[in-house]
Amino acid sequence: MLAVEKVNKTFVGARARVVLHEISLQLAAGQYIAIMGESGAGKSTLLNLIAGLDVPDSGRIVVAGQDMATLDDAGRTRLRRARMGFIFQAFHLLPHLSVARNVGLPLALNGAVSAAIAVRVEEILGAVGMLDRQHDLPNQLSGGEMQRVAIARALAHRPSLVLADEPTGNLDADSAAEVLALLRTQLERDNAAGILVTHSTVAAATAQRVYRLTQRGLHEHPAA
Amino acid sequence: MQAWPLIDAALVGPLRRSPGRNALLMVAIALGVALGFAIYLINRSAADEVSLAARSLYGLADLAIESAAGLDEELYPRIAAVPGVALASPVVEVEGKLADRRGSLTLLGVDAFRSRQLQSSLAALAGTMSRGADAFDPQAVFLSASAARELQRDTGDTLDIQVGEQTQRLRVAGVLPQAGLEDRAGVMDIAAAQWKFGRLGKLSRINVRLASGTPAERVRNAIAALLPPDARVTTPGEASNDALRLSRAYRSNLTALALVALFTGGFFVYSTQSLATLRRRREFAVLHALGVTRGQQLALVLASSAIIGTCGAVLGVILGVIAARVGLGAIGGDLGAGYFRGLAAQLEVSGWEITAFCVLGVLVAIIGALRPAIEAARVPTAAALKAGDVTSRELRTHGRIVAAVLLLAAIVLLLPPIAGLPLPGFTAIALLVVGAVIAMPSIVRMVLRYAPVARSIPYQVAIAQIAGTARYATLSVSAILVSFSLMVSMAIMVTSFRTSLDQWTQRILPADVYVRLGYVDQSAHLDAGTAQRLGALPGVAHFETGRFARAQLALSSQPVTLIARSANQTPIPSALWLTGTTQSQPRGDAIRAWVSEAAADLYGIRTGDSFVLFLRGERLDAFAAGIWRDYEHQNGAVVIDSADYVRATGDTAVNTVSLWLQQGVDPHGLENAIRDLLPATQYDLRTPPDLRRLSLQAFDRTFAITYLLELVAVLIGLFGIAAGISAQVLARRGEFGVLRHLGFTRAQIAAMLAIEGAVLGAVGVLIGLLTGGVVGLILIYVVNRQSFHWSMDLAAPGWLLASLSAVLIAAAAGIAVVSGRQAMSTDVVKAVKEDW
Repeated sequence: MLAVEKVNKTFVGARARVVLHEISLQLAAGQYIAIMGESGAGKSTLLNLIAGLDVPDSGRIVVAGQDMATLDDAGRTRLRRARMGFIFQAFHLLPHLSVARNVGLPLALNGAVSAAIAVRVEEILGAVGMLDRQHDLPNQLSGGEMQRVAIARALAHRPSLVLADEPTGNLDADSAAEVLALLRTQLERDNAAGILVTHSTVAAATAQRVYRLTQRGLHEHPAA
Repeated sequence: MQAWPLIDAALVGPLRRSPGRNALLMVAIALGVALGFAIYLINRSAADEVSLAARSLYGLADLAIESAAGLDEELYPRIAAVPGVALASPVVEVEGKLADRRGSLTLLGVDAFRSRQLQSSLAALAGTMSRGADAFDPQAVFLSASAARELQRDTGDTLDIQVGEQTQRLRVAGVLPQAGLEDRAGVMDIAAAQWKFGRLGKLSRINVRLASGTPAERVRNAIAALLPPDARVTTPGEASNDALRLSRAYRSNLTALALVALFTGGFFVYSTQSLATLRRRREFAVLHALGVTRGQQLALVLASSAIIGTCGAVLGVILGVIAARVGLGAIGGDLGAGYFRGLAAQLEVSGWEITAFCVLGVLVAIIGALRPAIEAARVPTAAALKAGDVTSRELRTHGRIVAAVLLLAAIVLLLPPIAGLPLPGFTAIALLVVGAVIAMPSIVRMVLRYAPVARSIPYQVAIAQIAGTARYATLSVSAILVSFSLMVSMAIMVTSFRTSLDQWTQRILPADVYVRLGYVDQSAHLDAGTAQRLGALPGVAHFETGRFARAQLALSSQPVTLIARSANQTPIPSALWLTGTTQSQPRGDAIRAWVSEAAADLYGIRTGDSFVLFLRGERLDAFAAGIWRDYEHQNGAVVIDSADYVRATGDTAVNTVSLWLQQGVDPHGLENAIRDLLPATQYDLRTPPDLRRLSLQAFDRTFAITYLLELVAVLIGLFGIAAGISAQVLARRGEFGVLRHLGFTRAQIAAMLAIEGAVLGAVGVLIGLLTGGVVGLILIYVVNRQSFHWSMDLAAPGWLLASLSAVLIAAAAGIAVVSGRQAMSTDVVKAVKEDW
């Protein structure tokens, strides 16, 4: 599903530094891993490279059989739109769209017809327990509720790969546990691969394998 | 609490954070102040100069006796004998038609020895006259400094004046000092003037100096008792007011238009500060949570506006003085309208004027920021600290306030002009625009409700964004509305006026060729015999004549222009653009008269009314047979049959001869024959196309300055649009980042922004067209009618408005896309890390 091969990334400018050095990672469909690391270790940079939002200095990234290097920005965007889902720490629901429209947006972007969108939105919102709030706006929801909707949005179009960047960073412990369980369940149900970037060992423990990203590279955590 | 950290955090910081936007605000205020100040300075300088010039004709006189028809000189000794009159100085005033160029020169015939006691500058004249032959030399003329300058004449030069069909050569005997006679005039001996210009036994004016300690009112009454009905006693102050009266409406309208730019600038401050307040909602909540009081928040927002306003006002005053200096030098004190030809106004700026306009600029900035500042001070702290922008989608409608404002505008519109100025009309326009702005939330809500559904994802997200940020949207649309509606209204008014003027010139010029010599009160004219000979030239089918004179429609009123037209073959009504006629007939000996709209408005005359016409001292009973449209005589004009005129005055001279040519005769082929008939006469020979071109050129020259003012108002409006849309777009980097994560291409985001900009632009343009249309109607049917007494037919410049609409919508879309590109030029991916 995902192959990251010897990827390097250096930031240039006044604060030039090597962020990622010879990073490699293989992920099959249905696999769910966590990546931990200190702040500034390059976790989010790695996610951005996998998502095609940034390009590596060297190395190769293949998602769903597509080599990112062979795609231009529009091509990477189409691949991201069709095969990936995102979950952010700050939820990032579009504030002016209702819950249902936020969740339906990836489907619409992928060309689904209205009836199909409505069916899938109902299904996924039901799965995350937010069906009764589908007409609400994001600002009417609690943090935990917003993240459930964000998970629904990330999975609505049945992506092959879900990238979650600190999805529980803004939640209390109970909500965090609930959201992580929900994420794992949904990934398993869709047989999607998932990468969870987190500082939290508790969150990381919900993944099948845990990696640690350091200056020396990406290594599987021995505790996992 | 130490003040500096607070000022730094809440005042200096935000000002530094948006230098571009604040610079735009400053420029907008500066442009508004500069235009207002420049127009004010030019108007004031010209008015001062006109007053000074008019006042200088009277010297130290306390009173003046005048009559449009002229005074019998036998009145002079009787006036001089009135108790309390220390000195009476007779004056003959003639508009001497310049033989070698267009235009005329005011020639004053004075008794040098009497007038020098009223005008010390004329002492030199008296001295010169008493020394030599100049005293009684009927050819001698002394030019004022401005006349000498403009005519490029000096002592010893000659000056040719057309009297009747003949040319009279005068000799420049001297040039008077500048301070002596400000007007562009020549002074000569009164007896010579009477003799040369056919005014024997007549005076134009008697200037009177009162004995010290004499009550002016008593003397005034005593003099009035001696006067014929058409004469009046006036003061030099009233006379200089009269000199300014004609141009007053024009000057007031220009000032109002210049202030529109400042109004637009004030609204720009309002929309920009409102947007900033919405954006800084959380910042205000944090400050409040940290202990900043509501009052301090209010003061800080107002202070930031005051700082911008002060910088803008100072810059504006400097620009205004420069613009006034350039304007006075380049297009004159009347800004191209032709009211003050030959006037060389000097620019002097006083400290209080600079202060007043600086204060005006600062006040506009503060008033513009008042409501946003109050909103900033009222931000609910707890709600604003919570994630999510709750307030940006709130849309409070104000249906009752809108209805009340519009009702008030309608009521104000019914009020008569104040001091002759259409102030109620301008107030109604301001209320209408403000009402439209207040109605904007309801309009935006309605537009969103009925927005068409489309499958395009960028379209759907764009519409959702507008709905979700309805308050931002309302402010952006309002910025477009204010500037565009004013632009639309001016375009409609100017087009209506120009089209009507064009139709009017075609309608009142039915002949093929016009020969003209002299005008009201001018020394030049054609003899009746010459007119007959012109009419008898080969190729001429028939002819009509016209004579211009002064007349009065009421005692002690300003004169109107009397046009005596022959009706050999063309009945008078068919040569006029009648807007009112009557079937009733005059009673008794009343003569039929056709009254211009201005005269009808000024003197309350309606068709079928009987009224009195004072003509050359004669009282004539007249009957208003019709009201006609006239764009030439702002003071009013009355047309009568030349037979009635000759019967009343005995004057058979004419000023115009209109020639209808036989089929196939070339108008230009007639030129040589006319030249042979009038070999020594400088006359104007025009065809209708010439006259039409000249009148449209004059119109365009007059309105050139209004186009400029309008352009600046639109420019400020565009600033508002640019600042509003770009500020909103730049604040949405985080949203663009999420959309990119979700799979939006850059092109889709650009399309979404273009749709948002275009929808906002289209709503603003549509409401602007509607509001501007109504404002245009007010300008046409109320403001113009009250200012100039001119009616016109509505004509909308369809293509111009359609093009402007398209340009504005495209500009709004373009600004949104460019701002979006700018916002996405930085790493929008990182922006999702920011808490938005």
